[in-house]
Amino acid sequence: MFNLFSLSWRNIWRHRGRSLLTAGAVGLAVFFTLFYLSFLGAMENSIYNNLTASVGHLQVRVEGYREKREFRDLLIPGVAQVEARLAAQTQAQWVVALEVPALVAGETRSRGVLLIGDRRPAALREAFAKQYLAEGQLPEADDLEGIALGASLARALRLKLGDPVYVYAPGTEGRGAGAYRLVGLLRFPEAAQEARSAYLSLAAAQELAAPGGATRIELHFPFTRYSQDAQLAVVQPQLAASLGPGLSVESWREASPAIAQIFALLTPLVLIFAAIFFGLAGLLVVNTIYLGLLERTRELGVMVALGAGPAQVARMVVLESLLLCSSGAVVGGALGLLTIAALSGGFSLEALYGPVGSEFGLPSVVYLSLRAWDIPITLGFALATGLLAAWWPARVAARLEPVEAMRFTA
Amino acid sequence: MQPLLQTKQLTKVYRVDAIETPALRGVNLEIYPGEFTALAGPSGSGKSTLLYLMGGLDKPTAGEVWLGGQRIDGLSKAQLAQLRLWQVGFVFQAYNLIPVLTALENAAFVLELRGEPREVREAKALEALQVLGMQDYAHRRPNQLSGGQQQRVAVARALAARPKIILADEPTANLDSKTGLALIEHMRSLNREQGITFVFSTHDPRLLERVDRIVRLEDGQIAA
Ligand SMILES: Nc1ncnc2c1ncn2[C@@H]1O[C@H](COP(=O)(O)OP(=O)(O)OP(=O)(O)O)[C@@H](O)[C@H]1O
Ligand SMILES: [Mg+2]
Repeated sequence: MFNLFSLSWRNIWRHRGRSLLTAGAVGLAVFFTLFYLSFLGAMENSIYNNLTASVGHLQVRVEGYREKREFRDLLIPGVAQVEARLAAQTQAQWVVALEVPALVAGETRSRGVLLIGDRRPAALREAFAKQYLAEGQLPEADDLEGIALGASLARALRLKLGDPVYVYAPGTEGRGAGAYRLVGLLRFPEAAQEARSAYLSLAAAQELAAPGGATRIELHFPFTRYSQDAQLAVVQPQLAASLGPGLSVESWREASPAIAQIFALLTPLVLIFAAIFFGLAGLLVVNTIYLGLLERTRELGVMVALGAGPAQVARMVVLESLLLCSSGAVVGGALGLLTIAALSGGFSLEALYGPVGSEFGLPSVVYLSLRAWDIPITLGFALATGLLAAWWPARVAARLEPVEAMRFTA
Repeated sequence: MQPLLQTKQLTKVYRVDAIETPALRGVNLEIYPGEFTALAGPSGSGKSTLLYLMGGLDKPTAGEVWLGGQRIDGLSKAQLAQLRLWQVGFVFQAYNLIPVLTALENAAFVLELRGEPREVREAKALEALQVLGMQDYAHRRPNQLSGGQQQRVAVARALAARPKIILADEPTANLDSKTGLALIEHMRSLNREQGITFVFSTHDPRLLERVDRIVRLEDGQIAA
């Protein structure tokens, strides 16, 4: 037995070809929107993870460090107390680093570098090595001899693994100079970074430049998705308050404002494109629904004559539009989800943008993944398209005069 | 006895692009409960117009329409829709049925609009189809029915809703005369057996022999 719902459903399929085309357009819009949103989600996650793996989620430094020129002024006072606070207040792991402007020399050549002595928890150390170590190994935590250099820096200095490396750090509070052995070569996506990177253990750097000193503490939270980044908004000010006025707590956003800005733009951009897709599909829906009304003018006239009120007629039209859009959305959505599931195991983008992409932190393999709001947002678009497309035809239908409609023969 | 339906000085002037066509010119008509009335008259005499005004499908230019003691000519569009839904049954000339619905669903259509529960409307619609001998065709779509069968379904639809009155505008116009006659016979027996009041228009003189009351229209007026 029928109800107005199934009446609308049957009415849609009176013109199979036209309705299929229209539903197909809505389905396509749903498909592409889901696909782009999941692609965007994947890009966000991997850019975020790459970025935070290398700079941390939060960084503790001396307040106003950007303006400070003296090495001494950059040292964090009371590193041990700061670490005690971090242990009490966060579930993050952290890297303690001492950054020293220094001169690195081989037997024949020398270069200015930013020497970094760091101490990383095992997991972060492993991740760092996996990502950047090209040859050899990283200096061990208590290693006072080993040094790792950017591969291009080592090449420029004519150094190979095992060679002695001389480091001068004048104007600091430690020994100011030291001889090390090249144990590892590092490769970074950015050429400039590779050309001026030199890594010691924290202990070795402290001995060289500042006993017990550190200039930067890098916090790594156990996040795997960009959506978790929202938690920083709570943690960051809490930490800043507890560490007091001499220290600043910055997030990766302040460290990489350009990327932060791109993140803020990506989703709105995709949504604007989605709105355009759905707008075009919506025009087809209006056309289909309106033509359907015109063809059925007499029939609608009979319905109104039999007592269907304006609201009932309008509801029928809206229902037709919604059914048309949602049948497209169901098919497009199902295909979209299947595609995303099929590609969630990762697919390579190298072919698309080549090796250059990794310089900008673009991932070479993308794992499509949907974010919590992606499906509701997409379905919301389909629903809104159905409603907006029905608005005008529904008004026309609600104003139908039965006597005139029944005289209408076309 | 109170008339079931009454028109007083009913006047309708159609106005299209500043051209005025007087369709009804002061019609006074009374229809009593249980009557079986035919509206006769040449083409353009105003039969359809009169039926439309009596059923609240359109508003008169002047004059009054009373249905069951209620004056209906001044009602709003929405009120008229309610009135038609609950009190008036219609059968039109042709293409009366909704093509995507089966005979049974068509017969239940008005009940569906009223929001009656499914079992109730199904039972009533089936009963009405039975009365018109259409129960075997209940699950056919209109395009699988003959013209006469379609009109019987249209009458069943009106019947299933139990209106005060059924107005039929040339229900036989698209039927051959034998089928047309059979349809009128069906209506006639509903009128006799269930006391349903019918007003229908026709210009087939042979049908007029089956009717107790004939109202002749000429030029928008009731002819003497
Ligand atoms: N919507 C309209 N607009 C303008 N003129 C109309 C309209 N409807 C009817 N008329 C005119 O009103 C007059 C009466 O028409 P009506 O349809 O009531 O006659 P009828 O008796 O039903 O004719 P028929 O037997 O051909 O159906 C005719 O002159 C017709 O042209
Ligand atoms: Mg007529």
